[in-house]
Amino acid sequence: MDFAFMAEAFPQIVGAIPITLLMVFVSAAIGWVLGLLFALVRRADVQFFSQAVAVFISFMRSVPSVILLYISYYVMPAVIYFYGQNIGIEINVSGIPAVVYAIAALTLNQAAYASEVFRSAIAAVDEGQFEASYSIGMNKTQALQKVILPQAMATAMPNLGGLFIMLIKDTSLAYYVGVYEITATANLLSMPTLNFIEAYIMTTVIYEVLSFVFNQMFRAEENHLKRFRAVLAAQV
Amino acid sequence: MNYSYDFASIPDYMIKIMTAFPVTLEILLISLLISLLLGAAVAAGSLGRKPVIVAISRGYISFMRGIPTLVLIFLLYLGLPQILQGCGVNISSWNKMFFIIATLGLNTSANMAEMMRAAYLAVDKGQLEAAYSVGMKGTTAFRRIIYPQAFGIAIPMLGNNIINLFKETSLAFTVGVIDILGKARAITSASYGANKLETYIATGIIFWIVCVALEQGSKYLEGVYTKGRKQAAS
Repeated sequence: MDFAFMAEAFPQIVGAIPITLLMVFVSAAIGWVLGLLFALVRRADVQFFSQAVAVFISFMRSVPSVILLYISYYVMPAVIYFYGQNIGIEINVSGIPAVVYAIAALTLNQAAYASEVFRSAIAAVDEGQFEASYSIGMNKTQALQKVILPQAMATAMPNLGGLFIMLIKDTSLAYYVGVYEITATANLLSMPTLNFIEAYIMTTVIYEVLSFVFNQMFRAEENHLKRFRAVLAAQV
Repeated sequence: MNYSYDFASIPDYMIKIMTAFPVTLEILLISLLISLLLGAAVAAGSLGRKPVIVAISRGYISFMRGIPTLVLIFLLYLGLPQILQGCGVNISSWNKMFFIIATLGLNTSANMAEMMRAAYLAVDKGQLEAAYSVGMKGTTAFRRIIYPQAFGIAIPMLGNNIINLFKETSLAFTVGVIDILGKARAITSASYGANKLETYIATGIIFWIVCVALEQGSKYLEGVYTKGRKQAAS
């Protein structure tokens, strides 16, 4: 063990945590909203759209994250470039940081998984709840917003927590498209002196701490929502 | 910048990439076997009565669930040889397959253990008591009464775990094993990166097809196995 190396490298690896968390938070925020939309589209059974969404979700769930990252990294520049040409702007695609492509891939991956979570959570809410909301004069949007989704969230929360932890772990793959997050930084620092074991033990500790902290946070939120549901049940 | 894509060539690339499929299959099957055996041991430990063993099993599961697969690969592939070198054992000449199989086996064993634990607990307690009441011993009761019911309950989760394991075999390229993604990377680097997009899409489609097939297989097996059985609480 090279403790001098560890003391020197640790602050630098910790310094890469914000990039990892940036990817995690942006992908989760956009991905889960998209996932909810996908779930609602599939539920509404809109012609063509529902099928298209189903195929997209199946693809996104089946392809490993590394390959999604690679595809995003090599497809997106072309798409952005051609879009720019169409609207008459010469966009300098090489100026776009790699983290954008990583976030795009992780977001779509999350959206696909989250849509399945939301779909089963909404399906788990009793059909009578819809009927009850309609019977007191709510329209579809109101029923979803005021009655169905709050209950569905309580069911979805443990699975969303699992997705979040999965996302934290998946960000380590962004290393392969050139994002300097935790794993990449550790690898880079360990290369010149071959201090692999020290660098990766520190990386492991950081990931374990992140997973633990967010796991606890989701569990607290889950209990909070559960209590809310217990109150509801008691009132009924 | 030059963007010219030839999407018609994707099927050709798929055929070329599929030549590496046996390697992926080998990684998948061996690490699946390891993860099932190790998972069973850990599940048994976490269900046992000895507090120390329960704590170790739980700790193992939560450790394996918190560490990214990539980091575990690097720990084993780059870190382990260094530690063993210090102890005077040289493993740098070992087959690279060992490292990827060990990583995936260890990582998946935690999910397998959780699956087995949940399935075991989902079987009604009364079943075990009923088995004892007709004079069965512990192992017989487990083998003939608990296990068949728990297996039926575990099938959907088992299918999911196998699909996840299959997706993670794509990380084999990080240690230089030529699996399907490794082959795709080899093809792109042979043409100086000219056909990157087509090869990666082709690889993605291969994964898609296999995953959908695995999913259907798991659904079919579930249907066959739970047919006529009272569905235990999921």
